[in-house]
Amino acid sequence: MTESLITARAFFERARAGQLTAVRCGSCGELAIPPKELCPACHARAWQPVPLVGEGTIASFTVIRVAPRAHAADAPYAIAVVKLQEGVSILGRIVDIPLDKVAVGLPVRFRPLGAQDQTSIGFGPLG
Amino acid sequence: MRRVAVIGVGVTKFGLHDRTSAELFADAAGDALTDAGIPASAVQALYYGNVVGGETEHQLHTGPQAASVLGIPSVPTTRFETACASSHAAFRHAVMEIGAGVSDVILVGGAERVLNVSTAESTEYFAYASDAVWEQPLGLTFPGVFALIARAHMEKYGTTEAQMAAVAVKNHRHGALNPKAQFQKQITIDQVLRSAYVADPLKLLDCCPFSDGGAAVVLASEEVARRHRKPVWVLASAAASDWMLLGDKRDLARVPATERAAAAAYRQAGLGPTDVDVVELHDCFTIAEIVASEGLGLFEPGAGGRAAETGLTSLGGEMPVNPSGGLKAKGHPIGATGAAQIAEIVTQLRGEAGPRQVDGARTGLTHTLGGNTATVLVSLFGRD
Repeated sequence: MTESLITARAFFERARAGQLTAVRCGSCGELAIPPKELCPACHARAWQPVPLVGEGTIASFTVIRVAPRAHAADAPYAIAVVKLQEGVSILGRIVDIPLDKVAVGLPVRFRPLGAQDQTSIGFGPLG
Repeated sequence: MRRVAVIGVGVTKFGLHDRTSAELFADAAGDALTDAGIPASAVQALYYGNVVGGETEHQLHTGPQAASVLGIPSVPTTRFETACASSHAAFRHAVMEIGAGVSDVILVGGAERVLNVSTAESTEYFAYASDAVWEQPLGLTFPGVFALIARAHMEKYGTTEAQMAAVAVKNHRHGALNPKAQFQKQITIDQVLRSAYVADPLKLLDCCPFSDGGAAVVLASEEVARRHRKPVWVLASAAASDWMLLGDKRDLARVPATERAAAAAYRQAGLGPTDVDVVELHDCFTIAEIVASEGLGLFEPGAGGRAAETGLTSLGGEMPVNPSGGLKAKGHPIGATGAAQIAEIVTQLRGEAGPRQVDGARTGLTHTLGGNTATVLVSLFGRD
């Protein structure tokens, strides 16, 4: 029933369309992102997809200045752990916010990044 | 479980080498067997740590390859890969095999070669130890992982960049006393603070170097160990894991795997943090030493930065940490690091560490962290 959702491919298909999606445990109510096979709280296998608002605040961040080869052209760039409104957290690239304005507690909004075959998680300004 | 001892240690100099990782391991293993005063024919198994051999040397199957280069091709050999904790994980399994009575003598070690490729390449390969679907595509690097931890620690506890710099200065001061260290020169707080940012708030001199090197230790059952000089007893060896993804970690300012592995090790040994005289812990970045010293219970959460700044963790201080110079100054050939930390603690407990000796050390601890804090090994050692 949730088979298609708990693959990374299904997650990123939704993400590409602008929808950040978590899963909620039908047994204990635990929320998880990205999806896992078993609920980490109760080990049930009864997930239901939950669309997230896609808004949150920066919990921690860094500015990468020495980048892996594939990202060298982007450097410097900011990466942050974002605590989402629903309480779960996820790592993403910060975009369209000047590096000196990136701060812990800054509100941000999800946006998909990348080309058609390689979507990744980004966060931009809330406004 | 039977008692297990370390009866021999060997470590190459860390830094740039024009030798393969297998040759570096074999060099260290030869020294460890000589130090143990035991013939290679007594070795019943090899447990081996190597991480990026496939990437930097185009070499898989590195366990039997290392055994062949050493010249003991017929013993059962297994390669362990838990990122930077690989040879400490190998060590724990060897302790269990001897403890269980399956073998009496096991060679444990590891090696890495990365300085034969560019920094850009090694930065990419080390990033392979973070998640390939959810984290690598964002351009996350290893300094980046610990920068996120550093920022969280600064926010939660008020830790400063100067306190992190104090860790680097202290470990370089120790490394200057270690003839095997990659960096044997002292640095100043000012030099650290003025070095270029790699991943804010971490600067170049907050980071350990890329290193080539090998390390090995010989483990033996009590019966065999009693026939050899100065056995150092393994009092505990414990492992713990944690979520891979940074977003899944509940509190980035702490490392739960360190706290769990330490609790298990202290329980096995019937000891607590105040019983420990000398520590070799995983300072891949300065913040990593601060967080580890807290997770091991040496200091309260949030007090690790002040401890470094006020000299508590220096040689001669109340709780000497990383007398070898740590990963920061001694170097960090990732597959060798766990075994090298164990070799240092054994040397300390034998009273053979020369100018970096912690006076009267009777109980020692090693802590090795794998990758993005998802693997931690903690072992405790004591002498008669």
